Amino acid sequence: MRNLLRDAAAGVLAAGLGIAVAELFAAATRPDAAPLIAVGGAIIDATPTAVKEFAVRELGSYDKPVLLASVGLVLALFAAVLGILGRRRRFLVAAGAVVLGAAGATAALTRPTASAFSPVPALLAATIAGATLWWLLRAADPLAGRVGGGADKTGNRRAFLRGAVLVAGAAVLTEAGAQLVTRTVRRVSTKLALPAPASPAKPASALAITPSADFYRVDTALTVPRIDPDTWELRVHGMVGTELRLSLDDLLRRPLIERDITLNCVSNEVGGPYIGTARWLGVPLAPLLHEAGLRPEADQIVARSVEGMTIGTPVATALDGRDTMLAVAMNGEPLRPEHGFPVRMLTPGLYGYAGACKWVTELELTTFAEFDAYWVKRGWARPGTVRTASRIDKPRPFARPAAGKVTVAGVAWAQRRGIAKVEVSVDGGAWRAAELLPVPSIDTWVQWRWTWNATAGPHSLAVRATDGTGQVQTEARATPFPSGATGRHTITVTVE
Amino acid sequence: MRTSKITALTAAVLFSVSLTACGSDDSTTSSDQPAAAPTMTSEAPMASAAPAMENFGSGCAAVPSDPSNKGSFQAMAQVPVATAASGNPLLSTLVSAVKQAGLVDSLNSADGITVFAPTNDAFKKIPAADLKKVLADKKMLTDILTYHVVPGKLTPADLSGAHKTLEGKDVSVMGSGEDFKVAGTASVICGNVQTANANVYIIDSVLMPKS
Repeated sequence: MRNLLRDAAAGVLAAGLGIAVAELFAAATRPDAAPLIAVGGAIIDATPTAVKEFAVRELGSYDKPVLLASVGLVLALFAAVLGILGRRRRFLVAAGAVVLGAAGATAALTRPTASAFSPVPALLAATIAGATLWWLLRAADPLAGRVGGGADKTGNRRAFLRGAVLVAGAAVLTEAGAQLVTRTVRRVSTKLALPAPASPAKPASALAITPSADFYRVDTALTVPRIDPDTWELRVHGMVGTELRLSLDDLLRRPLIERDITLNCVSNEVGGPYIGTARWLGVPLAPLLHEAGLRPEADQIVARSVEGMTIGTPVATALDGRDTMLAVAMNGEPLRPEHGFPVRMLTPGLYGYAGACKWVTELELTTFAEFDAYWVKRGWARPGTVRTASRIDKPRPFARPAAGKVTVAGVAWAQRRGIAKVEVSVDGGAWRAAELLPVPSIDTWVQWRWTWNATAGPHSLAVRATDGTGQVQTEARATPFPSGATGRHTITVTVE
Repeated sequence: MRTSKITALTAAVLFSVSLTACGSDDSTTSSDQPAAAPTMTSEAPMASAAPAMENFGSGCAAVPSDPSNKGSFQAMAQVPVATAASGNPLLSTLVSAVKQAGLVDSLNSADGITVFAPTNDAFKKIPAADLKKVLADKKMLTDILTYHVVPGKLTPADLSGAHKTLEGKDVSVMGSGEDFKVAGTASVICGNVQTANANVYIIDSVLMPKS
C-alpha cells in the first residue's frame, strides 16, 4: 500500500514537473500552446452545440477554471497509475509519456492558431515527465541499491524522498516562474499611447456608462490572449484589390472616432446582465475597406482573432454610415486584455457574436455563401441584429417598497433604431409612458424612469419599449438561442 | 508517517498544477462579473466551481447526468433559476405554476435567493380540484410560490432554522448534514443544487403558508 502511494506520488510529481516546465516555456513563447490550455481548448471545440447553448454561451469565466482543473486532475490520475504500473514494467513509463506527449501535441496542433512550434511544449512536458518518473522509480527501487545487494530499504526510501522533494521544489519554482513571466508579459502589453479623436463623442452627461471593470465578458478564450502591440498586425484580405497589412502605429495614425455605443450579448435572458455601454475610440472600418479595394461580390467580413475565433459581419453594416470600427480604447484607456487588447471590432446594432470580434488580427472579405463563422456553425442566427428590449433595474424583484411614490427605472435598447418610447404597466393595466433621459445617438441604451403611486399589496411591474421605427417590443417569449431573447421584463414586488 | 509526507508532496504539486489552471485569471476575475449583474454575486464562482460534488440526497439520482442535458446539474449551474428549472423534467409542474403567476423574470433576475422546489410528485399530493383552484387564483398562487423562496443563498450549513420568506412569513427548516425537513412536512430529496442566482433544495411536498 505504501509502495503504491509512493509510486503514484512519483507519477504525479513527474507529471507536475513536466507540465510546469512546459508552462514556463509556453509562457515565454506561445501561451496558447501550453499543454493544459491546448487540451482544454480542444475539448471546448469538440463540445456539442447542445452544451454550448447552456454552458459555452455563458462562458463568463467560471467553467473555464473548472475545465482546466479537470484536465489537470485527469492528467494527475493518469500519471499516478503510470507511476504504479511503471515500477514493475519500466517500459510503460516511456509508453505512457509517448501517449501523453502525443495527446498534448495533437491537441496543440488542432488549435486554430497552430504552427509547427505548437506541439513543442507538450512534447517537452512528456519528455521531462517520463525521464523524471524513470529517475524517481529508479531511486525507489531496492534492486538499484548500492554495493552488496542493496537490502537497505531505508536508504532507498530516503533516496526517493530526497528525489521527490527535489522534483516537487523544481516544479513549484518553475511554475512560479511561469506565472511571473505571464504577469510581466501582460503588464507590458497593455501600454498604449492614445491619440486624440479626430471626431470626439458628443457630450452625454446623462448617459449611464458601464465601468470597464464591470463590463460583461462572454467569450470562449481559456486564457486571455496577451498580444504584443509592437508585433501585432492587421491583415485585410480576401475579396479585395490590394491586401492591406497594418501595424498598430499605422492604425493609430488614421483619423479616430470616439463614440458611446451599447454592446450586448445574444445569450442574455430577458432582464439579464450581459449588456453595457462604453465610450469607444477606434478607426472607422469603411475607409479601410475602400482603401483595400473591396470587391462588390463580398457580402461578409470574417474577423479572426489571434486565438482563432471567427465572427461574421455583413459588409453592409460597415458601409451604411454607422460607426462600425476597429476599437483601440474603452472609457478613455486602452482596451483591457479581456476586452480584446489591442484591437477589437465593434458593429453598432449587432450582437457581440456577430460584430464585435476581440483580439482581432485579420479581416477576410468573403461571402455568407462561402463561409460560416464560429457561432453560425453552431446554429446561432445571422446576421445577429439586436432585438428591441427593455429592463427594470429599480425596484429589484421581490422588493418591499413603502406605499406612496416609488421610482421605477431601468434601461431600454434598440441600437441603430433608437428608442422612441418606454411604457410601464402595473398588474397588467394600462401602459404608462416613462420619462426618457437624453442620449447622444440611436446606438446607446436609453435610461427611463416612471413614478408609481404604489398602493399596499403584491404587484407586478412590466416594461415595454417602442423602437424608432414605431415597432413595439414583442410580448412573445423566445429563448436566447438562436437569435436573442424576446419578451417583456416583468417583476413582482410587495408594497408595504 | 512517510505516506503522509508523500501525500503532502502530491498535494503540493497538484496544487501548483491547479494554480496553473486558475491562477492566471486573478486579475480578470472582477471584470468577469457582468455589468450591473445582480444575479451574479461574488459567491457565483464558488457556487459553480464544483456543482456536481456538493449535491446531496436520494432524489439527485433522478437528475439527468449528461452535462449536455438542460436538466443536468452542470447545465443548471450556468443559467438563472427559472430557466434552470424549466430544463428539468422533475420540476415541470412548478415551472408552469411559476409561469402562471408571472414570476419567471423575478426569479431569474433576483439577487441571490434560496428556492425550495417541489417536484411534480409533490404537486400530485394536492387534490386535483384544490390544485386547479390555486392555479386559477393568482394572488393565492403567488403567496404559495413566494413562500418557497428565501432571500440570500443558503448553504446546507445555514439551512437549519427559521427563515423569512419572500411571502413574508417564516419557514422553519429542521435537520442537519444531508437530512432536512422543511415546515415539518417536506423532506429535502436533493439539496444544494446550484443555479446562476439561486441555491435550490428540491422537496417532496408543497409548502403552504399558514393563514
